[in-house]
Parts: sequence; C-alpha cells; structure tokens
Amino acid sequence: MDHSRSKLTWLLIAIVGALTVFPVLMLLLGSFSEGLTAFGKFTVHKYVEAYTDPVLFDVLANTTLFVLGSSLLSTVLALFLAYLNTRTDIPFKFLFKIISLIPMMIPHLLFAVSWALLLNPSNGLINLALKQALSLEDAPFNIYSIWGMILVEGLLDLPIAYLIIAPAMASFDVALEESSRVCGAGTMRTFARVTLPVLRPAILAAFILGLVRSLASFAVPSVIGMPGRVPVLATHLYEMIATGFATDYGKAAAVGMSVLAASVTLIVVYRALTAESEKFVTVSSRGFRPAVIGLGKARTPLFCAVALLSLVLIVLPVAVLLYTSLVPYSMVPSARAFSLMSWKHWSDVLGDPISLLSLKNSLFLGVVGATLGVLLSIFVAYVIVKVKTRASGLLESLSYLSFSFPGIVIGIGFMWFFVQTPLYATIWALLLGYIGTYLPYGIRPMSSAFIQIHSHLEESSLVCGASPLTTLRRIIVPLLIPGIVSGWILMASMFVRELTLSVVLSRPGTEVLAVQILRFAEDGLWGKLSALGIVMIGISTSLVIAATLVGNRFRAV
Amino acid sequence: MEIRIRGVSKYYYSEGKTIKALDDVNLVIPANRIFTLLGPSGSGKTTLLRCIVGLELPDTGEISIGDELVWSKDKNICVPPERRGLGMVFQTYAIWPHMNVFDNVAYPLQVRDVAKDVIRERVAQTLRFVRLEGFERRPATKLSGGQQQRVALARALVAEPKVILFDEPLSNLDAKLREETRKELRAFLGKLQITAVYVTHDRVEALALSDSIAVMRAGQIIETGTPQKIYFDADHRFVADFIGRANLVKATVRAEEGGYTVVDSTLGRIVCQQRDLPVGGEATLCIRPEFIRIVRGEAEAHGNLVNGRIESLVFVGEAYEAEIRVGEERLLAKIDPEAKLREGDAVSFTLAPAHCLLVAI
Repeated sequence: MDHSRSKLTWLLIAIVGALTVFPVLMLLLGSFSEGLTAFGKFTVHKYVEAYTDPVLFDVLANTTLFVLGSSLLSTVLALFLAYLNTRTDIPFKFLFKIISLIPMMIPHLLFAVSWALLLNPSNGLINLALKQALSLEDAPFNIYSIWGMILVEGLLDLPIAYLIIAPAMASFDVALEESSRVCGAGTMRTFARVTLPVLRPAILAAFILGLVRSLASFAVPSVIGMPGRVPVLATHLYEMIATGFATDYGKAAAVGMSVLAASVTLIVVYRALTAESEKFVTVSSRGFRPAVIGLGKARTPLFCAVALLSLVLIVLPVAVLLYTSLVPYSMVPSARAFSLMSWKHWSDVLGDPISLLSLKNSLFLGVVGATLGVLLSIFVAYVIVKVKTRASGLLESLSYLSFSFPGIVIGIGFMWFFVQTPLYATIWALLLGYIGTYLPYGIRPMSSAFIQIHSHLEESSLVCGASPLTTLRRIIVPLLIPGIVSGWILMASMFVRELTLSVVLSRPGTEVLAVQILRFAEDGLWGKLSALGIVMIGISTSLVIAATLVGNRFRAV
Repeated sequence: MEIRIRGVSKYYYSEGKTIKALDDVNLVIPANRIFTLLGPSGSGKTTLLRCIVGLELPDTGEISIGDELVWSKDKNICVPPERRGLGMVFQTYAIWPHMNVFDNVAYPLQVRDVAKDVIRERVAQTLRFVRLEGFERRPATKLSGGQQQRVALARALVAEPKVILFDEPLSNLDAKLREETRKELRAFLGKLQITAVYVTHDRVEALALSDSIAVMRAGQIIETGTPQKIYFDADHRFVADFIGRANLVKATVRAEEGGYTVVDSTLGRIVCQQRDLPVGGEATLCIRPEFIRIVRGEAEAHGNLVNGRIESLVFVGEAYEAEIRVGEERLLAKIDPEAKLREGDAVSFTLAPAHCLLVAI
C-alpha cells in the first residue's frame, strides 16, 4: 500500500513538475539562448539588450504606477464595501454577493473593452453623450491613459480583494472594538487604532494579491494601454513576441525572468501574511451578535454609491456590449440608433470561419481541458491531503507554484519548449499550457473535498463490513462529487475565456475566443467583437450559475 | 459609586416577534461592593451589563452611575461608552492582538492623553498588581488564557475607574484555572475600593465572589440578596432551585409553632424555617442534598426524622451521591464516603429545621 502510494506520489511530482517547473526552466534557458531556433547556444546578449533598452525605464515607471494604483483602488473600495456589508444596516445586502461573483461571469477582456466603448475619446458613448449635452469641443474623458487603466484594473480586482477582506471583517471579534470604546476611545479613534490594525494582514494580503494580478494582467494593458501608448511589462513582452517583423523570444524571456521573480516574491509575502492573519485570531467569541452600526441619514446616499458601483460593474458592461453588437457604428442611444439596429454583426460573426473555429477551439479546450485538469487534480489532491510524506509536501508546493505565474511570462516559457516539439502550433500545446497554469484552481476544491472525508468515515465503512471497493463506491466518491463538479466548472469557465497564455501560444488554426476578440479590438471591429463577446459571457455565465446551483444542492445534503 | 437602574427595558425584534431582553428592571447596585448578576443563558444579564456600559441602548428607563445620569429615554440623555469612565473585562478578554502587553494596558491612558512617563509608571504599577511584571514587551497573543485574563483586568483597572464590569470573565478558562483565578480576582477586588458588577451563569462563582447577588430570569430580576440569603433563605422557588442542587417536595402548610412553620408532605410532617404562608396553603419544601444527615445506630435524632431506602449509590470522590426513596419521593442526598451503606439498605435520616426551606409554589 505504502509502496504504491509513494510510486503514485513520485509519478505526480513528475507530471506536475513537467507542467510547472519545466516551462520556468525553459524560460531561464531561453533567456540565455540566441533564439528560438538556436536553443542551447548560450549567450548573455539578450539580457544586455533587454535591460539596456531605453524604453524599459518608461515601461517600469508605468508598470509601477499601474500596479500600485489599481491595487490601492481595489483594496480601498473592498474595505469600504466589506465594512458596509458586515457592520452597518445598509439595505439590499445581496448586492454585495453579486459584486463578489461578477468577475467569474464577465471576462476581463470584455470588461476592458466595454469601458473603451464607453470612454474612448473619439466615439466613447459617454463622451459622445456629454459632448452633445454640454456642447463641448473635446471629449471630456480619455480612457486610453494610465488613469483609465488604473480605474478599470482596480474595478476588476475589487471582487478578489472583497473576498479576502469581507470574511476577515465578518469574523472580527467586535469585543475588541467595544473594549476600546469602554477604555475611552471614540468611534474614529477605535477604527484607526483597533479595527484597521487588526485587519491589517487581510488588507495587506488583498493589496498584494492585487499587485500580483495587475502585474499579470494583460487584458487591460492591451485593450486600453496599447491604444493610449502606455506600455507596461505585460504589453512590453507582448510587443517583443507578437508585433513587428523580428520577434525576439530571447529578450522576452530575459525580461520575463524579472517579472516572474517579482510575482513569486509577492506570492511568498502573500502566503506569509495570510498565515499571520490566522495567527491573529484570539479567543473565539461566543457569538454575541455584532452591534450593527446605524447609518442614519447616510444610509440612502451610501446605498446609492453601492448601487452605482454594481451598475458600473455588472449592468453597464453587458448593456454596452449588447448595444454595440446591434448598432452599425458607435452612436449615442437614440430613436435613430434603435431604428438602425440589426443582427448584421451577429450574422457576420457567426458566418466568419475564424470566429467559429475559435469558438470550437475554446469549447474543446474548456471541456477536454477541464476534464483532464480535474482528473489530475483528484490524484494530486488525494496525495496532498491523505498521504503525509515529505514527497507529498513537495508535490503540494509544486502544484501551487503556478498560482504566482503571470500567464504571458509562463506562456513564453512554454513557447520555448513547444517549439522544440511537434506540439508547436497545435491545440494540445494550449491544452497543456492551460492545465499547467490553472492547476491550483482545480486542486483547491478537490483538496477541500478530500479534507471533508475524515478518515473515520472511511474506517467506519470498513468496520461495517464493506470492502475497500464498496467503500470507495458508496462513501468516498459520493462525497467527492461536489468538489469534482465545482472544480470542473471553475476550470472550464477559466479555459473558455483564457487570454494571457493564449496570446502567446495561439497560432493560425488554433485561435481561441479571447484571442479572436483581441484581434477584433485591435482592428476596431467593435460590433463583431461585442457579438462574439456576448457569446463568451453567455457560456461562462451559464457555467458559473450551474456551479452555484450544484454547490447549493450538495450543501443541502 | 452606586449604580441606579430605573424602569429599564430592552426589546429585540426577530422574525416579527418582540423579545423582551430586559423587562422593566429596577436595581440599585451599592457602591464598593462586588455585585453579581446571575441567571441562566438568555436571562438578560449580559444585556443589562451592556446597557450599563453603554454598548447597548435600552428602550425605556434611566441609568445613573454615581451622580451622573448616563442614560435617560425621557430626558434624551445618552452618554457614549467612551465617556462613562468605566472599566470592563470581556468574556473573550478582547486583548488587541496587534499590540503587546504594555500597549494593551496603556491604551486607556493613551487615549486620555496622559503624559508618557506617568503612563509608564501607572502601567508598571498595575501590572505589578495583577502579578504580570516583566511581561510588558510580550505580544498579547503569546499569553496563556489566565495571563490574558489578567491583562484584561489590568487594562480595565489602569485608568482607576470607579466601576468595573465583568462579562463572564472566567468561562473561557479550564476548571482548575477558573477556581484559582476566581480566588485571585476576589483578592484583587478586595484590595480596591471599587464597585464591581459581575455577570455569570455559574452559581459557585457567584456565591464565592459576591457581596451581593441578583438572580435574573427572562429579563427580570427575581431576587436580590447576600450569597447566604440566596442559598439558604431564598424567597422564590426558581432561585432556590437555580442556586444549588435541591430536592423539591410538595407540601401543605399546617401550623406556626415556636418560630417554625410546620408542613405535611410525602416525607411526613416536617418542621421548617419560619415563613409567612397561610395555614392550609400549598408550598414547596426545598432540601439541599448536603443537609440530609444519615442517622447511624441508636443515636438520638435531632430535627425531622425520615425513613427511606437507598435506591442507588454513586461514588463521586468526596462523597457518595445517593438516591433515597421515601414513599413516592426520590431524594438526592450527599453521604459521607466512609458510610458503610449499600444499595437497598433501609436508612433513617434527619433534616434540621433551619435547612428545610419553604418557598411559594
């Protein structure tokens, strides 16, 4: 038994290692190689070239501002929302749950596009409307700027920050604040000296995760930053490998190594912080209902702010995409606009062979990728949770490694590998890349499912006289099903809209939905883009809803 | 300082129903005494405490601390907790995890803008008082439960409040530590001239700590008195039953004789403590297990003599707990572990009139 378990462990280490460590190794080797076709001829030339590039300074400055600004925005907004939800009597609290779920439904790429459609300086809908209404010469807003990027990325990362801060706020022992009040400190002082410091690990964790995500973000920099000529590291890398005459994967790998190092460092800090925040939990309260702060007169304005935020986050992007997919060109909604509406963009897109191919490819990657990914996750999670050896610890670290990989960087690593193999430019290259990069998202629901299966449940079945096989069939598998289903749906919905890895690995013939949408954006084909985008939102929304329903059904048991 | 509570009610609304957490409470908590609010969970004792501190606002009535009116519905007065100048020890201690011991204890002085060197001196003094000197730089989360409890006490005491409140401060400690801490707390409070209000559901804690106990049920104060009065001489059946283990036996009042009240019960005719009950009326006779004395040999029996049979016998260490059957009645009795008794033995026991407590039904 032990022997076969350890064989399984090492086999999994080999597979997961190949999927996660290998691309990093290839990235490293590639950064010291002369070129994709000259792999193995070592040189430091690429580093010299990459780090003496005069553009790099601008890129770094932009990246720093973009990453810090958007994380700050998302953290502050999340703190505000979490406080309102957990500690005040604000009405319609279900809105907060919705806000925390949207990023699953609206892909980042489309969210960025919808803001470009609303606020671009030449024909953004809000700009056009304001120009007409106030008879202005110039458009009042320009989304194609660093501030536009910060705004959109901040809103995109808000839900993640909220999901980290809100539980910390909810489990906060209110007696800590109450004792400060009794000690003579007023409400504001208590907030500054007790509430914020106690929540500090959670707040910092949300901020750092924001840094990691915006550093890896490609949708916003490409859709908003590139037209505005605000290059950040992600688009800098993209330009090196995908535009211009001479693509240079060596130079890209050299820059990518730094991005990867920064990201891994941040994740290490993030892990340390989440561990610290668990340490901050003191004696647990007996659950005296936390005093809800009456907002009084501020209740309505604050609720309006939240409602506006959810409008901006959910309704507006979908509405603007739907609208754009129906009108012939950008125009402010009016009677004329409605009279000109047609299904032309839709029929164009659905008749376009490349769009159809990308839809087919994405669906294939979603279904097959998620199935293989979950299968691998089941074994990995089993070993991580149930086999407690040093090797299984190694496997655990390996399998969560790719959580910190920026998609575009790891894509370059995979590229260096695939080019040496017949997998290059096939859909299997994408499939392997997806599974390697998104493995943690499959393992997490599976390992929590395994943790739930206490060994006593297994043992009591054996003691009751069931054979190991019957135990597996009657006890373990039924308990695992919710984890399997939710892991599958999560992975499938991520694969259907995958962008950052795909822009590197996708080649003619292996287009996927997000890449096709990006092409439309680059060519300014907003109508077609919106039609295809709505299709994508439809697929990922139905997956998320299915996941929620399944989750609810199994939780009731 | 004396605390006066007049006509205080507090309602909660849940699922369309109104729950009276406090129902027209009137209470005077005497100055410089340890006063305990005792009751089962849900009796409103914690709510009353939180109303005194100001963390909870009553729906009616007035609360004054010393000469200051801190809450009045009618006069529209509401002093926030930070300006009531009280000290409080929370059930969870509420030690701030991001501060060390010194900062936790210094906090009340810091927010009052006391000079730094005074703070240092006062904190050192208070930590010495609770026997935590040398712990200043320890992170608060690195302390044991008992130490955290003493930090919480030091923090509540450091600003020298006139009133200190305790919300079940011992309930998170294990049994042995709880007993030690209780003794310590009693010693600490004895040295201070301070009004202490203590909330607990633990009757032993209440008896051992308090100068005075108020027993609460369903948002009302049922009875107030010294621990001895509450234990030996309760007026209410609920109080007599709640404060200790008791055998409750139905009885009918027969006569008043020589400073005693005589009743008829299933145990026979019993001479009890004097009570103003109408002759011929129904009452409940309350006998604590430890006052059932087994008579051995032919020794002359004092008080009420009752005969029964031992139904079961359980050894619990310091004594046997016996169930003695008398007619239809089963009485719980605590018997000397040396007694050579077995299940099924016939026994006689006496009940001293002073420990035969009569309460209204």
